[in-house]
Amino acid sequence: MKLAVFLSDWRRTEDSFERIKADKMGVVLVGNGIYHAVVKENGKDSPVLSKAGASFYVLSDDLETRGYTAAQVNSKVKVIGYGDIVDLIMNDYEKTAWL
Amino acid sequence: MGAVKLLFVVQRPPYKSENPRLALTHAIASQTAEIYMDDGDSVVPIIAFVGDGVLNAVKDQQAMKIYGVTSTEDHIKNSLLIDMPVWVCKEDMQRLGLKEDQMITEAEDRGAELRTKFVSFAEIQKEMEAVQHLLFF
Amino acid sequence: MGELTLGVFPSLVGSMSLDFSFKIAEAAVAKGHKVNMWLSGNAVMMAKKGQKAFKDYSHNEKKMKELIGKGMEITVCEACAEARGYHKEDTPEGMKRASMDWYLAKTVKTDRLFHIGGE
Repeated sequence: MKLAVFLSDWRRTEDSFERIKADKMGVVLVGNGIYHAVVKENGKDSPVLSKAGASFYVLSDDLETRGYTAAQVNSKVKVIGYGDIVDLIMNDYEKTAWL
Repeated sequence: MGAVKLLFVVQRPPYKSENPRLALTHAIASQTAEIYMDDGDSVVPIIAFVGDGVLNAVKDQQAMKIYGVTSTEDHIKNSLLIDMPVWVCKEDMQRLGLKEDQMITEAEDRGAELRTKFVSFAEIQKEMEAVQHLLFF
Repeated sequence: MGELTLGVFPSLVGSMSLDFSFKIAEAAVAKGHKVNMWLSGNAVMMAKKGQKAFKDYSHNEKKMKELIGKGMEITVCEACAEARGYHKEDTPEGMKRASMDWYLAKTVKTDRLFHIGGE
């Protein structure tokens, strides 16, 4: 399965993300989910970024809205725009999951 | 297109948010969706409760008595009545200390033949791969 | 070009996820995709006529009308709307109201479903 997972929260109350597997997974950080790309709590990367085999993306508009810039984004994460998200959904992944 | 399978995944407990209820009411709406579809097309929903969402399937809910609103239990029983598979994640039940006898297992009083299935997350994952679309609530 | 169906459930006020949904829709329309949008749960209030624009609140009415003008189909959950006192006469021009089965039926032909759940 080729799955694009959207994370829009920083503190998450469900654990589906940890358990879901996909042959190809894209993790798109939007809304408050962008904090996974920029905050190092107690000096450590967000555990979200350790999802094995996944590609990580963060929405630039939501970064800037919250006072961050692309320069502060973890090197594992690619900064993208709305058009890129559309391309990921329509071309690169078969299914989406908004967690 | 023929039959399109949809997996509704409920991750949150009931009542604080409308989300779990909307998962059930949307899934049940598959029964009448044919009015908008071409001949031969259909949608085949499955609803799976995972994480804290398994708390939706605890039996003896009294929402109608207390608040005058349809309980989530009522919607789950209606789902069984229309032969819509209702799955509950076993590992999450265990984590929350829930036993099968605390859960909604059937709706025989309404004439439903289908029973709730208690499954592993691995089975739900397999279904995620098999369906056409995923709807997380 | 493909067909994208968005199922949108977040609230008009109190969440930026509804704004996100419209920006995705706008980007998809700009790329030439056919876009359908289902507004349900608290998201139905997005589609009520006569909203005043305040800078403290999201305001997507103009964008919504532009997208309808570009061929995007927006349908509102009728039961969710009626439960919130939003009646047929409050529905903006070009927008439809339907029961939940409309959304289910759209999943059959659409190339991608992007279901944006509520809070």
